[in-house]
Amino acid sequence: MKQFYTFLIAAFALTMVACNKETPTTQTDVMNSMLTNKTWYLDYSVTGSATKSYVGQSTYFVSYLKDGSVKDSDGLTGTYTVELINGKSQIHVQVKTLNGNSIEQIYDIISVGDSKLVLSKQVASGTPTQLYFTNK
Amino acid sequence: MQIRKLKFTTHFLFLLLAITAFSSVNAQTIKSKFHLDNNLSLFGALTLNNQSVNDAGITAPLNYLYNTVNNNVFKPGYSGGFRYDGIYDQKHFYSVSVAINRVSAGTLYKNKYSQAPFVDDFTHFKADNQFTTLNVAAHYKMLLPVNDMRRYKFYAVAGPSLDYKISTISAEHLINGAGNRTYINGDLGAEFDNKGYYVLYAHYKLGTNLFSSSVPTTLNRFELGMSIKVKDLF
Repeated sequence: MKQFYTFLIAAFALTMVACNKETPTTQTDVMNSMLTNKTWYLDYSVTGSATKSYVGQSTYFVSYLKDGSVKDSDGLTGTYTVELINGKSQIHVQVKTLNGNSIEQIYDIISVGDSKLVLSKQVASGTPTQLYFTNK
Repeated sequence: MQIRKLKFTTHFLFLLLAITAFSSVNAQTIKSKFHLDNNLSLFGALTLNNQSVNDAGITAPLNYLYNTVNNNVFKPGYSGGFRYDGIYDQKHFYSVSVAINRVSAGTLYKNKYSQAPFVDDFTHFKADNQFTTLNVAAHYKMLLPVNDMRRYKFYAVAGPSLDYKISTISAEHLINGAGNRTYINGDLGAEFDNKGYYVLYAHYKLGTNLFSSSVPTTLNRFELGMSIKVKDLF
């Protein structure tokens, strides 16, 4: 009987370990690790069926830093957070414009990787623009 | 912090498992009952490993360059452990083994995705290709009528085995519930017993996730190994 209980406890312990899975922040942690401490250069912007290419040209770039700050080639600085809201992955950017106004911009993350990033800029009306970045 | 807590829980449960298993074991009883001196062997093996991954269930917006992560080859690993060889009813040969496997696997990603105007192909998931498992196997051994069976014995071997990942699973491998730790394998193989001095064996293991996973993974392994009786070693 003692051996049976031992077996039961051992099986339970093994099952408990087997049930360990991802935490609620796993996805945002992975996305953050891919996004941060890199400078992302805009290669393409796509609005509807119109595609603009900036490959080989002087282009817009943005850096997401590990301390949660962001700065871009237009001279804007601010903070950002990566969030998962209703299953949608987003970057929330709070920046101060050159004249001191504070604005928030939300980007849906279409795809993020070590070297490729695709964002969709949320707009109040009209067709959203998809931005294709490369980390060089 | 949560990952640390997870690691601690895993280690604690393994400790509990080990303590409960060993606390109730009467070593002498088992030794005499199962003739461990004669039938217990130590083995080591070189392994070749390959896994195929179906990431169709991943919804996280992640991309990995396909050509960077896809590597459909067999990569070398190693394995070591103990096995017990027995005979049931004077005619059915079997072996039970416990092993630790260090797996280094080439990985085939079954799905490719593209994101125009980017020209590269992507996957949405990156599988861990180096991990350690605890393996438990039970094999039926069929004695083959080859050569002088009193001196050299050839066996065909088949049976199930279970692999449990004991190494840490990366956060990338845990995405969308993909981090399944347990594999169930079907094993096939051949063994050569040289007068009881040692056994040379070649096994093929085909494994799949025991529990449902958003990223079904198939693990293919070849093992080339040798076992020597513990009484001859110590």
